[in-house]
Order: sequence, then C-alpha cells, then structure tokens
Amino acid sequence: MDIVPYLVNNGLISATGILLGLAVRNRFTTGCRIMIQRNQLDLRKFVVPEFICGYGALQLAGRYARNFGMKQVLLVTDPGVRAAGWADAVGESLTEAGVPFTIFDAISPNPRSGQVMAGAEVYHSEECNGIVAVGGGSPMDCAKGIGIVSSNMQDILTFEGVDRVPVPAPPLICIPTTAGSSADVSQFAIITDEMRRRKIALVSKALVPDISLLDPRPLTTMPLELTVDTGMDALCHAIEAYVSNASSPMTDLHALEAIRLIHSALPAVIEDPENLELRFSTLLASLHAGLAFSNASLGATHAMAHGLGGVYDLPHGRCNALLLEHVIAANYEAAPDRYDRIGAIFDREPGEQTTPAGEIAAFRRSIGITATLTELGIREDAIPTLARRAYADPCLVTNPRRLTCEDIERIYEHAL
Amino acid sequence: MSMHSEPPDDPDTLREKIIGLGETSLHKSYYPELQSRLAELERFRALLDQTHDAIFLIHAETGRLADVNASAGMYLDCSKKELLATPFINWISPQKKAVFDEFARRSCEQLPASRWTCIASLVSREGRETPVEITVRSVTFGDKQYLVAIARDITDRLQAERELKIKESALESSTNGILITDLAGTIMYANPGFASIFGYERGEMLAGRSLEIFFANPAIGKKVTDLLRKNHAITEETIGVRNGGSPFHIQVSGSVVQNDAGQPLCIMLIVMDITERILIDQLKRETCAQLGKNIEQFAILGDHIRNPLQVIVGYAEMIDDPLAKMILDQSDRIDEIITQLDRGWVESANVRQFLRRHGDDAEPRVETFIQRFSIKDWDS
Repeated sequence: MDIVPYLVNNGLISATGILLGLAVRNRFTTGCRIMIQRNQLDLRKFVVPEFICGYGALQLAGRYARNFGMKQVLLVTDPGVRAAGWADAVGESLTEAGVPFTIFDAISPNPRSGQVMAGAEVYHSEECNGIVAVGGGSPMDCAKGIGIVSSNMQDILTFEGVDRVPVPAPPLICIPTTAGSSADVSQFAIITDEMRRRKIALVSKALVPDISLLDPRPLTTMPLELTVDTGMDALCHAIEAYVSNASSPMTDLHALEAIRLIHSALPAVIEDPENLELRFSTLLASLHAGLAFSNASLGATHAMAHGLGGVYDLPHGRCNALLLEHVIAANYEAAPDRYDRIGAIFDREPGEQTTPAGEIAAFRRSIGITATLTELGIREDAIPTLARRAYADPCLVTNPRRLTCEDIERIYEHAL
Repeated sequence: MSMHSEPPDDPDTLREKIIGLGETSLHKSYYPELQSRLAELERFRALLDQTHDAIFLIHAETGRLADVNASAGMYLDCSKKELLATPFINWISPQKKAVFDEFARRSCEQLPASRWTCIASLVSREGRETPVEITVRSVTFGDKQYLVAIARDITDRLQAERELKIKESALESSTNGILITDLAGTIMYANPGFASIFGYERGEMLAGRSLEIFFANPAIGKKVTDLLRKNHAITEETIGVRNGGSPFHIQVSGSVVQNDAGQPLCIMLIVMDITERILIDQLKRETCAQLGKNIEQFAILGDHIRNPLQVIVGYAEMIDDPLAKMILDQSDRIDEIITQLDRGWVESANVRQFLRRHGDDAEPRVETFIQRFSIKDWDS
C-alpha cells in the first residue's frame, strides 16, 4: 500500500499540507499534523524494576516476599491461572518461606474498578502488607490498583491519569503467566470503569512493581488464542514504543529486540507450545517491549483499543492486532525511517514492494488473526464515541502524529 | 492527570510527565513515605511525652520495660535510658507485684486477660511513692506480645475523695433532715436525719419519691420547687406529715445547687422539726396574756381596796377611841400590802415587756426570703 495516497484518500492528510511543511521550534508539521521532533539530546528517563528471568523464577516468590518484610501477602490471581495450578505453586513458595497469604481471584479479563475495590477490602481485612500477583495483565493491573487504593485510601477511579499516585503502594511482586501485557515491568495499569463502561489509564512511575519473576513454565498452559493475542499485544507495545515521540536510544534497543523476538518466536511457539525455549523467547520479547513502552509510552493503537475494550469488553491484544496496521498507515509519514526499519524485520520477500502496515497485516493473518472489527461486533455508529474516548486517552499523547478526533474516526472506519 | 480533568489541549505537559520528567514523576520509593511516617511517630511521641500519665511498654514475656514516656521518668526520678530493660514490678508497690505477674503470665499464654486496673503506688528510685491508678492492657506488635501500662497520678483524686467522704459523713450524721432533689422535686438523696424526722426506717428507700408527700398540703412541694427556681433560696415554716400520717411543724430551708457556670443542678433542702419550739412559743404567748390579765386585775383590786381604806383612815383619825389606833395600824398594814401588790404589778409589766422585747410573741418575728418575695404564694 502506498501510504501517501492512503492518507490523502482517507482524509488524514492533504496534499497541500505535505507541500507546506510548516516548521516550528522543536516541531515540524507533515500534512498539517504537528509532530514532536526527536532529538537525541532531549531529556529522557528510564525506569526499570528488578527482574529475574529463567526457569524456576516463580519459586523465588516466597524468598522475595520475606525479604520485603511481608507478614501477610495478598496473592492476586484469576480463576484461570488458579485452575492451571500456578497460583498454588506460588503459594507453596510463600508457605515454604513462612509467609502466610490470602488469595484474591475475583478478577475478570479487563479488570473492573469494583474488583479492585473488593481486593483492597480483602487486603485491609486480612491485614496484608504486601502483594504478589500471578497471572496476565488483568490480575497484575488489578494488583497495582489494590496496592495504591490501600496505601492512599482513595477510590481507584481517582488515580486516573498521569502521576496521580501520591503515596506508593505496598511492595508488589509480579509473576506473569502470559507474554504480552508487561504489566510486571510497566508504569501503566488499565482498569475498566464499569459505571461508565470505559477503560481508564493509570500512569505513574509509582506503579512500576518492585520485582518481576519471569518464569517460562506458566506460559505453557496458555491456550493458543491467548498466546496469539498476548503476543500481538507485546508486538504492538514494541512498535508503538519504537515510534513514540518519547522514545530514546534505550527504549529503541528494547523495542527493536522485542519486535525481532516476536517475529521469530511467536509463529514458532504456536506450532510448538510446549517448547520452553520458545516460550522463554516470547517472555523475553514481552519484557523488552515492556521496558520500552513503560518509558517511551504508547500511541494511537492503544488509545483506540482501550476505547474498544471498555465498551465491548473485547480481548485487549485482539483489539490491538486489528488496529495496528491501520494506525501504522496513518502514522507512517511522521516516522517513515522507523516504520521502514520495522517493516524490514517482517519483510518476507526482500526486494518486493511492501509497506510496514502491509507486513504487519500479513503477520497477524499468518498467526490466525483474520477477523475484522465488524466481525467482532463493532458498529459504525459507535465510532464517534470510541474516537472521543481514544482522543482523551493519555496514550495518544506520545503517538508520533497528533491525530484529531476525526482522524481517529477514519482509522476506526478503515479497521471495520 | 485525569483524562477529563486535565485539558486535552496541553499534551506537552502530559508528554513530559509520561516520559518521567514531571514534578512528581518519581520512581517508586518508600523512603519519603517512611520519613513522613517517622515524623508522624515523632509527633505522636511528643504528645505522649506531654501527657501527665506515665506510660510503660512492657515485654510480656520478661516483664521488662521496652519503652516509656517522659512522665514515667519524672515519677520514678530516672532517665528513659535508666528505665529501659528494668523489670516493671521494681517500680510499683510490693503488694501489687504478684497480681501484675499473674496478668503478664496470662497475657503470654494468650488466656483472657485483655485488661487489668488496680490502685497502686509508683515507687521512685529515691523511695518517693506516688499513688496511681494503673491500667494494663495486652497488645501484640508484629509477633511479639507486650503489655501497655498507663499509670495515672491519683493524689488529687484521693484528697478529693477524702474531702467528699467527710462531707458525706457530715450529711449522714446531721440530725437535721437533708434532702437533695432534682429540679422537679424528685428525691435523689435523703439523709438518715430526714428519715428519722419523718418516721421512716433508716435506709428506707426514699430516692425517687416526690417531695410533695412530705407536706400536709401536697401543693407545698411544687411551690417549694417553683419558688426555688425563681429565687434560688427559701426559708419557711410549714406543716410536715410523718410516715404514719401525723402532722408536725417543720422549718424548710432550701437552695438551688449550681455548677460553675451558674446552671442549676439540683435542689438542696434542710428540714428541721420545730414542733417543740412552736409549742413553747404558744405557751409563752399564753403566759404573757395571763400576765396582762393579772396586772389588770391587780390594778382594779388595788383601787377597790385603797378607796374604802382612805375613808376608814379618815374616820379613824377623827374619832377618839382606843380602837382607832388599832384601825390605823391595820390600815397601814393593808396599804403596805397594796403597795407591794403595786410593785408586783410593775414587775409583771416589766416581765411582759421583756418577753415582748425578746420577740417570743412578736409578729412578724423574722423577715425571711419567702416572706419578702412570696409570702402570699406561700400562704395561699
């Protein structure tokens, strides 16, 4: 796909805009869209938690809980992870270390604000002083929410936004059982405001967990669909971090490595789900992507996916997968070199004329994601509402292009 | 930032924060919060040090002091450093040591022993004793069992209790009847003297009864309370009624008891049986009246005797008869008797005057509050 005609045809840029190329201090415009120019000397911060990766890492949960001075742990998980036995495995580690714990597993995918508040109540009633989260993004985000609600004694919805956590949460140990959310290393937590049926983003360096224990074994019990969705979530994290206007040389390293690992390991692990080395590669990919996006933040794909997840309660990774290529197409002109570098990683037949958006679309189809948003039940008349919500999402701030609400509507329409 | 509270047209600020360059974009650190909590604890300790109560934190297992506040050191003439790790029982009166040890043992064994209060003395290093009320509670910090003992100096309280006891004894032993009622006239306290005056058994429960049952005219009870609410003090005589129904004379003095702010709290009445005095007064009045009658009769009698005696003496002086001298002698004797009667009359008049001057039959005798302010109300 030729990106310029695509953008022009979809109203995202105008030919006049391309010709004008208006420049302002530290900014330039392309197609009438203001963008923030990257400068290697710009101030950047890189926050990373302690993490241990490798076979058997989850068995260290008890030792670290004890070292953090946890006297009573709230073990946050979900019914699926518990059924797979990973919560019990972590519980055994805690017991061996002499740390008593209480399990809280009333958590759904796209965790609700009410679930966070219920978890905080259990935390207080059981007199816990530390949290261990075992699971995918939902239990880990919920655990982050429980932590800040407990230390600040406020409703979870009051922390919506950036840097809104005045008192740090109690110690949090994360053990991811999926390879995609990277909630175990990120400064993000996404919670669904069930009253208003929307996802809210909590962004704060205070949300970065204290330690992540990355063990590949829990990944082997993930169903295929979850493996694919979370893998695409990780890919989306890496790509959006790489093209983010807040990226840095440090985040670039991690983002590109994540993209390479996902490109090579995700299709392979679908074929061989029991292969621990491949699983570990996807886990590493998620880790790299997490380190990248936690510091460079994300972009329009995530802003738009949050809108979809809030209204339709769809799997987050699947929403990202179906939006990513369309956002890439819309953003391409703002960071062509970066997108081309990504495209080159996915280029199946070098020399053939392809676009990064086309390569990504082909990749997701190759791993079995072939539906459209329409097939997931998204209606066209919902687009204005979805676009308004995406426009207000903090992830949009670091998108390489400044998109208007109308731009976002066009992207949704194209993804239908 | 709130997606709704932060203006979407300020993406630069938001971006700076997301990158981590915002004023509060700090990596998770417990240190500032720890400092804040420590400062809070310091403030709390300063508060504890300001209290007059001596506070001891005691290891339940060893009975030794783990922490004390400043007042504890003051009562025991020791610095905090000197007190720490010493056995708590070293600092209390010997007779309470065994009881405290038993409480500590029960706490260690987690038997029901959540609270214990006793009166004891804190004994300072110099042997100075301070009477205290000690409340001991069992508490758990982490996995350790402690006892918290709070000793409150009760020197002033004991003194006040002694004074109160004296006052109470005075009330109990008074031969006058003393009543304390609420503002509506319901009895709260009646001393034995009151019970005795009104013919009740000592110790018979009078509290809760209405004041009106003690007056021959029940309406007087309400008048007493009404007048006291208006005038705050009364003194008057009226007719009381004994337990068996017999009336008798009483004097009632009352006042409204007020708190420091001048608000009325209750009514205090002092009741005296004045039946005997009333009877004596009546007797005096009758005597006085009799004296008056006697004086009057003496005057009449004197006149009735002197007038004919003058005639007899005139005739006797005019006749020359040997008997005339005898008549004159006898007349002189009669005159002398009459003169003595006149002197008796004058003395009787003086006695009556004396009685009147001392007011036993004067009316009104004394001007009282109730007479000045509401004599009509009282008599009506």
